[in-house]
Amino acid sequence: MRLVVARCTVEYEGRLAARLEEAVRLIMRKADGSLAIHADGGAYKPLNWMSPPNFLEESEGRWVVSNEAGERLVITLHEVVSDVSHDLGEDPGLWKDGVEAHLQELLANDPSVLGEDYRLIRREYPTAIGPVDLLVRDADGNVVAVEVKRRGETTGVEQLARYLEFLNKTETLAPVCGLLVAQQINPGARVLAEERGIRCLLVDYSRLKGDAPEELRLF
Amino acid sequence: MKFRCERDSLTNAIGRASRAVAKSTHSLIHQGLLLQLDGDSLTVTGSDIDLTIQARVEVTGFESGEVLVPSRLFVDVIRHLPLGAVDVTLAESNVVIRDARERSEFLVRTMNSADFVSVPEVETAPISVEVSDFVAGLKRVIPAARKDDSRPILTGVLVATKGSSLRLVATDSYRLGLCDLDGIDMGVDEEGVIVPSRALEEITKVMGDVDKLFVKLDDNTAVFEFDDLTVTTRLINGDFPSYENLIPTDHPNVLIANRVEMLDAIRRVRLVGDTETPIRINIQSDSVTLSSGTDRGEAKEVIENIEYKGEELQIAFNASYLNDGIEVARSDAIVLLTADALKPALLKGDGDTGFLYLLMPVRVV
Repeated sequence: MRLVVARCTVEYEGRLAARLEEAVRLIMRKADGSLAIHADGGAYKPLNWMSPPNFLEESEGRWVVSNEAGERLVITLHEVVSDVSHDLGEDPGLWKDGVEAHLQELLANDPSVLGEDYRLIRREYPTAIGPVDLLVRDADGNVVAVEVKRRGETTGVEQLARYLEFLNKTETLAPVCGLLVAQQINPGARVLAEERGIRCLLVDYSRLKGDAPEELRLF
Repeated sequence: MKFRCERDSLTNAIGRASRAVAKSTHSLIHQGLLLQLDGDSLTVTGSDIDLTIQARVEVTGFESGEVLVPSRLFVDVIRHLPLGAVDVTLAESNVVIRDARERSEFLVRTMNSADFVSVPEVETAPISVEVSDFVAGLKRVIPAARKDDSRPILTGVLVATKGSSLRLVATDSYRLGLCDLDGIDMGVDEEGVIVPSRALEEITKVMGDVDKLFVKLDDNTAVFEFDDLTVTTRLINGDFPSYENLIPTDHPNVLIANRVEMLDAIRRVRLVGDTETPIRINIQSDSVTLSSGTDRGEAKEVIENIEYKGEELQIAFNASYLNDGIEVARSDAIVLLTADALKPALLKGDGDTGFLYLLMPVRVV
C-alpha cells in the first residue's frame, strides 16, 4: 500500500473528461493495482480512481495511469508532502457479525430456543431444491423446518414455503410445520407467514452467543 | 339488520369487544367486529382467534341480522358521533350510521361475515366465582407473566387448586408471582390449566362493576361470563414449570421497609437509568441504600426507617421487576427475604400470607 499526500492536479480522459484543480490530496495505490485520489472529505468515495488492471508510468512530478479501455489519468505532482509504503500482509477478510450461518449454528446447538423440548434432527437438511437451515422435532415429535434469517422478509417466507411443500411430500417426514427465525421480521413477512401457516420467532443474537450480560434465571 | 342505540351504550360495547381484535394487520378478517342483532339484543364480537370478547347491549331492534364491520373505523365513527341515539342500518354491502337527528351520516363498507371465526363452545356447567378477589389476584400475578412468545407456556397464568384455595402463578423465568385465593373454587384440579395472561388481563379491564363471574372450562378453552360480557380464550397446552421447589423456605436476611418509601425511591433512582439498568441495594442494619447509574449520571436514595435482621448485603435487581413486585404487595410494609446476592429473593407484603413474589437478582460487576 503506497500512500502519497501531494499538492497535485489530476486530469482524466476516458468516458468523459474531468479535471481536479491543484490542491493537496491523498493518492492511494493498492497492491491490487487500483489507484484512488481522495480529498479530505467524501467518506470512502475517491474523487477519481482507476480500477485494476492498469499501467502506472511514473516520472518526475508526473504519474500517468492508463488501461486497455483507453482511459487515462494524469496526475501532476506540484509538491509531495508524504510518500510512504506499507506491506499490509494478507487480509483475513471481513467477518460480519450476526451472519445467518452463525445464528443457525447457535440455534442448532440449543434448539430449545425455538420451543420447549425442541430437538435437532439435522442442520442443513438436504432437499432437491436446496438445504433447509434446520430440521427439528417439537415436543410432540412433529417435524419442523426452520429457516434462519438475520432479517425476516417475504422472500424468506416464500423460500420456507417451498421447502415445506417439498418436505410434506416426503412420507417419512410429513406433516412438516414451518418456523421462520430472525432477529427482525418485517410486518409483510409476518402476514405472509401467517397466511402460509408458518410461525415466526424473534431471537436475540447477542443473548444467544452470550454477549449479553449473564442473566440469572429461576429456571 | 337495523337498530337504534344510545351512543355511549354502543361505544361501551364495541370498545370492549374490539379489545380482542388483532392489533396488527396479520389477517384482515380478524380486524372486524361482528354485530349480531336478535330482537332487541345486540351482540358485538371481536376476536383474534385465541381471544374472543363478546359484549351484549340492549338496543331498539327493527330488523334482526348480522354484519361484520371493520373494527377501528366503526369504533371511531360511533365514538365521534354527537351524544344521543344512533341508528345503524345494513344497506347491501354498507352499514349506514346516523345520529338520531340525522345531522351526521356515515357509510362503512362491510366485510364478509362468513369468514369470521367461530367462537368455541364449552359445554361444561358454569362455576360461579367472586369477582373482586379473583381480579385482585390476577392483577398481582399478571405482571410476572412473559410478554413475548419465545416460551409460550410462560405467557400464561397457571390457575390451579391448592388445598382450599385457588392458586394463580405467573412467571417469566426472572420473577414469579404467586397468589392463593382462599375459598375460590374454579373447578380446576391441582395440576390446573394455563390461561393466556393477555386474556386474563383483558378480563380485568373490561369486566365492569360486577360481583360474580361464571367460568366454564374444557381441555382447550376457558369461558368467562359476566352480565353483559363473555370472554373466551384458548388454553395454553403444556406443562407449567415446576415452581414450588424454587420457593426458598429459609432466608437468613429479613428486611422490612415501608412500601411507599421503597416505590418512591425506586422511581427516583430509575431516572438516571434505562430499562435494562439494575438497581443496586445495599442493606445495612439501620438503612437501605438504593443506587443506579449509567453514562448519563448516578442516583442514590437512602431509606432509614427500616427493620433488618441479617448480614450486610449488596444485591441488585432489574428495576422494573423489583418495582412490579413491590407495587402488587398490598401491605403498608414490604418484606424482602434474601439469602445472598445471587439467590432468588422473596418479596411479600408484611402480614400478607396469600401472595409472594420471587425475584432473581441481577449479577453486577
